[in-house]
Amino acid sequence: MIGKAGRMSRWLAGATMALALAVTPALADGVLDRGIGSEWSSLDPQVNFDAAAGWIMMDAYEGLVTYGLGGGVQPGAAESWTASEDGKTYTFTLREGLKWSNGDPIKAQEFVDSVLRTLNPDTVSEKGYYFYSVVKIKGAEAIANGETKDASGLGVTAPDDRTVVIELETPAPHILNIMGAFQIPPLHGPSYAANGAAGFVDPAKVVSNGAYVFAEVVPQSHVLLKKNPNYWDAANVAIETVKYHVTEDVSTEFKRFQAGEIDITYDIPVNQIEEVKASMPDQVFITPSTETTYYSFNLTKPELQDINVRTALSMAINRELLQEKIVKGGAIPAYSYAGGFDPAYEGPMMPGFELSQEERETKAKELMAAAGYGPDNPLKLTIVTTVAEDRVRLAQGVSLMWKQVLGVEATVEPMERKAWLDAFYAGTWDVFADNLVGDFAGAETFLAYMRPSAEPGYNWVKPEYDAQMDVAATMPDAASRNAELAKAEKILLDDVIFAPIAKEPLRRLVSPKVGGYTPSVTDYINSQFLTLAP
Amino acid sequence: MLRFVGRRLWYGAWTLAALVTLTFFVMRLAPGGPFSRNRKISPEVQANIEAAFHLDEPLWQQFARFVWGVLRLDLGPSTRHRDYSVNDLIASGLPYSLTIGFWAIVVASLVGVALGIAGALRRNGMTDYVAGTVGVVGIAIPIFVIGPVMQVIFGLRLGWLPIGGWDGTWRSLVLPVVVLALPNIAYISRLTRASMIETLRENYVRTARAKGIGWRRTLWRHTLTGALLPVIAYLGPATAAIITGSILIETIFAVPGIGRHFVDAALNRDYPLVMGITLLYGGMLILFNIATDVVRAILDPRIRNER
Repeated sequence: MIGKAGRMSRWLAGATMALALAVTPALADGVLDRGIGSEWSSLDPQVNFDAAAGWIMMDAYEGLVTYGLGGGVQPGAAESWTASEDGKTYTFTLREGLKWSNGDPIKAQEFVDSVLRTLNPDTVSEKGYYFYSVVKIKGAEAIANGETKDASGLGVTAPDDRTVVIELETPAPHILNIMGAFQIPPLHGPSYAANGAAGFVDPAKVVSNGAYVFAEVVPQSHVLLKKNPNYWDAANVAIETVKYHVTEDVSTEFKRFQAGEIDITYDIPVNQIEEVKASMPDQVFITPSTETTYYSFNLTKPELQDINVRTALSMAINRELLQEKIVKGGAIPAYSYAGGFDPAYEGPMMPGFELSQEERETKAKELMAAAGYGPDNPLKLTIVTTVAEDRVRLAQGVSLMWKQVLGVEATVEPMERKAWLDAFYAGTWDVFADNLVGDFAGAETFLAYMRPSAEPGYNWVKPEYDAQMDVAATMPDAASRNAELAKAEKILLDDVIFAPIAKEPLRRLVSPKVGGYTPSVTDYINSQFLTLAP
Repeated sequence: MLRFVGRRLWYGAWTLAALVTLTFFVMRLAPGGPFSRNRKISPEVQANIEAAFHLDEPLWQQFARFVWGVLRLDLGPSTRHRDYSVNDLIASGLPYSLTIGFWAIVVASLVGVALGIAGALRRNGMTDYVAGTVGVVGIAIPIFVIGPVMQVIFGLRLGWLPIGGWDGTWRSLVLPVVVLALPNIAYISRLTRASMIETLRENYVRTARAKGIGWRRTLWRHTLTGALLPVIAYLGPATAAIITGSILIETIFAVPGIGRHFVDAALNRDYPLVMGITLLYGGMLILFNIATDVVRAILDPRIRNER
């Protein structure tokens, strides 16, 4: 009699097994599955401000220009453009017969409306700085600051339905780098008027002009895009459906890739890099990004006001060893700040670059001794960094090198990201594990950030630098501008207000099914240019 | 009985109010804000963004705004997920969390109680040892180890189940539910076993058998009602813990539930979302505890009459 209850539990166990056996494996489905890391911040084309949302935006919308495989600028909604002699006026001509996904014709004014909505304080967008800071469009800053609501002063106009004219206060040869869908997607007036911002996340309501349209949006899960039949180049769009998955956990993403659930990952687990390089070398893409890491010195601290101390600290870091043996995340050791992103820019290197690491360390010891520090009087520092595992490892590595070479006692203080950001402006650090993501692959975006007037947090007072950046800003052509920017970078690097550390990598796993994947520094990978084998 | 429930609800409401108030102010003590960035946008624009979310107001006013919102069941806009209000995000995530939580508790109760009974009836038999081993393993190995191991076995090696994500079918439910249920199966089976063994020795059970009542009836009517009391007491908090504890599960299996929003919101200082989920989780925890008390009171008159 007791046996019956025992049988019941055995039956339950058996049923569970049977259930598991009945499951069939997943099949290929003709969908391009892409990982995007954390969830997109917004799908509002004038508001979204993160790379992950950027990819979705680039697929669903098209700016005046677009970026091909490899990141090069190519005609987008505009078939051609011209720049005036002084480099201050750009005239874009739209393709003929462009249509929105609902069939409405696309008008030049809708690009103007997009800029206006981005700048409008009521939109609460952080992207307005593209138009008043990255390039200086006439009248843009006044609108963004809420000084005026009058759009007539804005240097973005549409004289006719196929022409967009942009007037700048200073020449900006890099303007085409911010004319893509991420920065300047057109705004479909009727649907925006009818639905407001809520319409951008409702697939039934959103009207877009890119190669794809929204089919499904599930927060924390995925965005499903389907090919847009009204896109001007629809005939050349090979992949019918693209699914962007939120992949917060990098090791889960890795397993999903191995199981074929994800075709292009957002990242690779750092501790698996060696393994995947060995086991699937043709699927691993580790390439430079526009993110640079540098260790800033607090110029308000008396001991760090001595340039000899700063130079010694910078020279004592063995950057190659740091990346190869300690961090092992695929970053590229850096000896400059703004160079290495745009091949056309030939910038200067940090002081001591011409020496070997051994010579640098010898020199660093001399400089440190000259500054009055030694074994019985060691310099004590704190390094403030984020809690991310590889960042902490990096800081510990630097601390170790400073200890071994210079006898400096540096304590690593890891902080959660938001606290770390706050700590920067509070100045509660000696050395700040800093990083910056450029707005485009050029030197100017990085150098402009370091202007004492632009980023007061560094407490760096250098009128020469500001003056040199002003000179560079007047140059209408890329070559002479880069030459002036290089002079500015020399001033910056020679003052050693930070130690360049590394250029951060993009880490991707790409399934062999995906054709055409070409990494680029700016990381624009429009699905419309890719192919997918069955 | 009504007075009993009313009193519990009254205390519960105060507990929740205290929890929410504390969370609100403690969260503001954490450094950084929702719009901290390492790229300085113009101060005017920064101020404008903060004003749009009322972050420029004094703290007491923000708190009053929050309380007023709660009373109207409007939890405000999310600062991290700009397209959605907190209500939208909870509405979209809660069904996933509840589905997983519900099935996990169902599986845990059925399997746990079954194993527990089997173990108690055949003490030191094969089933008992197996159940005991499963129990120890389920409790000792943390979710973040079992989860990935199951992914590798059932997703990668065998290819039976998806590794993560939500494909809308039961297939993406299996792994998260099983992993979430495992530690609870362990607890419940041990609890049931111990309690069963004790109850089986009770005089009234022996009397019932002596009076000639069949084993089946004795088991169901006499033994189980008594033996399951501690299990039911455990189920209330466990249900709440399972639903709130699915945070890790949701991350490992990429399930779009609210657990992930909670962590993400805290890290991004998304104040309204943190408050919304705290309120929800706190409320659920308190309600489940009250529900447990009520069920126990129904089953056991001694509890209902205590002052």
